[in-house]
Amino acid sequence: MEVAYSSKGGPRSRVKGKTIASALAVIALVLLPLVVKSPYYMHILIMSGLNAILAMTFITMLRTGLISLSIAAFWGIGAYASMLFVMRLKASFWLALPASIVVAGLIGLCIGYLFVRSAGFGFVMLSAVLGMLIIVVFGNLKFLGGYEGIESIPPPDQITIPLVARVEFASKAPYYYLMLVLLFVTIVILRAIYAAWTGRAWMAIGLNSRLAESLGVNVFRYRLWAFVISSAIAGMAGSFYAHYIGAVIPGSFDVFKTIYVHIFAILGGVDFAILGPIVGSVVMTFVPELLRITKVIEPIVTGVLVILIILFLPRGLLSLFGIQAMSTHVGRRIEKLGSFIKASLGFRAR
Amino acid sequence: MLQVRKVVKSFGGLVALNSLDLDIEDSEILGVIGPNGAGKTTLFNVVSGYFPPTEGEVRFDGEDITGLRADEIAALGISRTFQAATLFTALSVLENVFVGCHMQYKTHIWKRLLRTPAALREEGRLKARAMEILEFMGLSSLKDELAGNLPHGHQKILSASMAIATGPKLLLLDEPVTGMNETEIAAMVDLVRRIRDSGITIAVVEHNMKTVVNLCDRLVVLNYGQKIAEGPPREILEKEEVIEAYLGEKEADDVA
Amino acid sequence: MSVPVAQLIVDGMGMGLIYVILAAGLVLMMNVSGILLIAYGEFYAIGAITVWTCVEYLRLPFGAALIVAVVITTLVGLASYRFIFQRIQHRPNNFLSQVVAAVGLMLILGQAILLIFGTVPQKVPSVFTGMVRKFGITISVEKLFVMALALVVTVALFLMYEKTRLGRAMRAVAFNADVAALQGVNTNAIYMATMGISGVLAGFAGGIMSGVYEIYPEMGHNIFFSILLVVMLGGMGSIAGAVVGGLILGITLSFGLYFTGGMAQIILFLIIGVILFFRPGGLLGSRIQL
Repeated sequence: MEVAYSSKGGPRSRVKGKTIASALAVIALVLLPLVVKSPYYMHILIMSGLNAILAMTFITMLRTGLISLSIAAFWGIGAYASMLFVMRLKASFWLALPASIVVAGLIGLCIGYLFVRSAGFGFVMLSAVLGMLIIVVFGNLKFLGGYEGIESIPPPDQITIPLVARVEFASKAPYYYLMLVLLFVTIVILRAIYAAWTGRAWMAIGLNSRLAESLGVNVFRYRLWAFVISSAIAGMAGSFYAHYIGAVIPGSFDVFKTIYVHIFAILGGVDFAILGPIVGSVVMTFVPELLRITKVIEPIVTGVLVILIILFLPRGLLSLFGIQAMSTHVGRRIEKLGSFIKASLGFRAR
Repeated sequence: MLQVRKVVKSFGGLVALNSLDLDIEDSEILGVIGPNGAGKTTLFNVVSGYFPPTEGEVRFDGEDITGLRADEIAALGISRTFQAATLFTALSVLENVFVGCHMQYKTHIWKRLLRTPAALREEGRLKARAMEILEFMGLSSLKDELAGNLPHGHQKILSASMAIATGPKLLLLDEPVTGMNETEIAAMVDLVRRIRDSGITIAVVEHNMKTVVNLCDRLVVLNYGQKIAEGPPREILEKEEVIEAYLGEKEADDVA
Repeated sequence: MSVPVAQLIVDGMGMGLIYVILAAGLVLMMNVSGILLIAYGEFYAIGAITVWTCVEYLRLPFGAALIVAVVITTLVGLASYRFIFQRIQHRPNNFLSQVVAAVGLMLILGQAILLIFGTVPQKVPSVFTGMVRKFGITISVEKLFVMALALVVTVALFLMYEKTRLGRAMRAVAFNADVAALQGVNTNAIYMATMGISGVLAGFAGGIMSGVYEIYPEMGHNIFFSILLVVMLGGMGSIAGAVVGGLILGITLSFGLYFTGGMAQIILFLIIGVILFFRPGGLLGSRIQL
């Protein structure tokens, strides 16, 4: 269970401060489309939300001691599944969304069963192979549109929210709100799990899996659980993505995308399972935008930003606020993972 | 309670346990001694499920537990500590023990996730149990300290507390007093006795002969992965084979 | 229909040797400095593009262009290390941070390459023309030349690593940097040297390949995947593994393309997956003991 608190104030004022801050944040987010009119900036907001969701799944796996390179793969699986449900099976998006979540989760279950068996490092390797393999699979299956992908994916059908309005997905704003809902759902689910015994078990496994096992924790089952949840959430984001962008191309779901997601989470701060990914994604998506002189410089700006942050804020952006996560030590322990991964391979020690 | 039969454990060319036969009786405090490399920790590893034996059988309470995973064996009632005080260094003392308590959870996982009143009640109960264990072991004043910050002796006691939290019938203590001073050792010995009195059978691997003689009802001596002697402490330590096995070990000086 | 086995093997070895050189460079960085250089593909691209620029605009002969390419790539590498990685290197548990830095570098270099080079694929005119036909195998003289050079460089690398004082220092640092430092090794100098050597390898590989294959801006990204696979397959800890993995990948792809193209890639990945499932350390990597 991870709690971020500022060093001043006792427990009660801490909780109160957090609740007020969260409430204000939610209100601001909900009112945002009234202020931001430009479709371009709305797009950036929506994408950062999506990236935040994906980054959170990275942290979920990282907590259990596993670095997953398949995040984009399941994102793609969700996207393609949703596309198939709507375009081939003529289902409504609102059916396709939960269905894609289930599909991604089930595939995650089958694949995870094989992957989680391997040692921590084996998992990384296998997830990397999956990440690379999935594009080739998408690209070679004709009914998935091959390497050019599928276009003209219809937007979600209009729905009627009782007492509010009939919502048509004709502009950015409805997508934005849908993204907010998905983000909110993800946060609620993950927080609940982190606070419950499962979250504790994950943290124990991530800190010392041998010890956890000797205390009766079924390491394999908990890690598999984490993998399934991560895959399902990524699949959910994928379903949204397919219908928002209106197209799916295999190239969007490559390993580099996964690596970028990792970076968002790391730059935000791995100590924070929810805030870190959000801060990381928002900053890394917006700042290059705001600083761009011309479009062509953008990746360079992003690259420079990445390097500056990692050089000067090694524990991530959130360390700027002096917020001490209770799990700072967990963050350090997680960094040791990387070294463990190297060492356990005959990198001859470091 | 526990029967080890003809257990062999080899690592590539190295044979750590060589057709070992051993029994642990109910309610006893058994000492497992022997020179370095005799296979004592390997024995604990096999029994607790850290790795399976290459050959042989382990039976616990009549059931065959050979080759089961560590968490399965923990669920059956065997718990252990590690030679190096293995803790969740990033968590507090109370949280460490709380992890150990998890096996006592009765409410179904979904109810726990939804934080139903029943689930929350049980969580409260388990937290209380964790506190009880800390009090029993004398660590309650340190409950919010980070485990990694504790001095060595307290870390060892914390390891033992976590192992007890799982509610074991058999507790394997691997070098519980190594690195402790006289006062700490005395406290630990007292703790171990009280743990046994609360109904848990104990097996101890230890090098400190004074402690072993003081604490254990019975001794088993291992050398080169085999049992070379067993019996009451005083008697064992005077046996020729035992003294010979220790020649070359400084412990020979400690023999009473 | 008979499969032209020998031809396919030779074709595969051609590309395979390039994989070997690049994989060796990557493994060298990982072993000695502990840095997973995700930007390494871009170094390869820089080598290729520099050769093209020199030949096309400066009218330099290929040999001179190659030297320039190696120099430039190495300088970029050394500068990257000095200003970026060196600052992170002293931190404990720096693996993830170095990876993040490497990605940042990749973004910068990748875009710079695109800006300087443009999007139109180019090709450097071959140094040699003509084909050689022997033992039923047909191969362009250019390719033969490339393979020969690559072989020389690979052997040179091996000799350097195993036999020279520098190599010994590098192996010492790879084994345990702290202990090496206590023994008087200037670890920072070794890290710089390693980066330099890896830069040389990448620049060389990119440079000589420019005469054989097309140059295009994404070539860095694309080849990085292949190299990563090679390294995973051959085993991360060993340069010998890089050799084995590179050759295997090159030859397998060669056969695969001959047979089924796309499906071949899928099957290849699956085979690699199976291998990694049973031997996560790769074919030549150490057995993972948990």
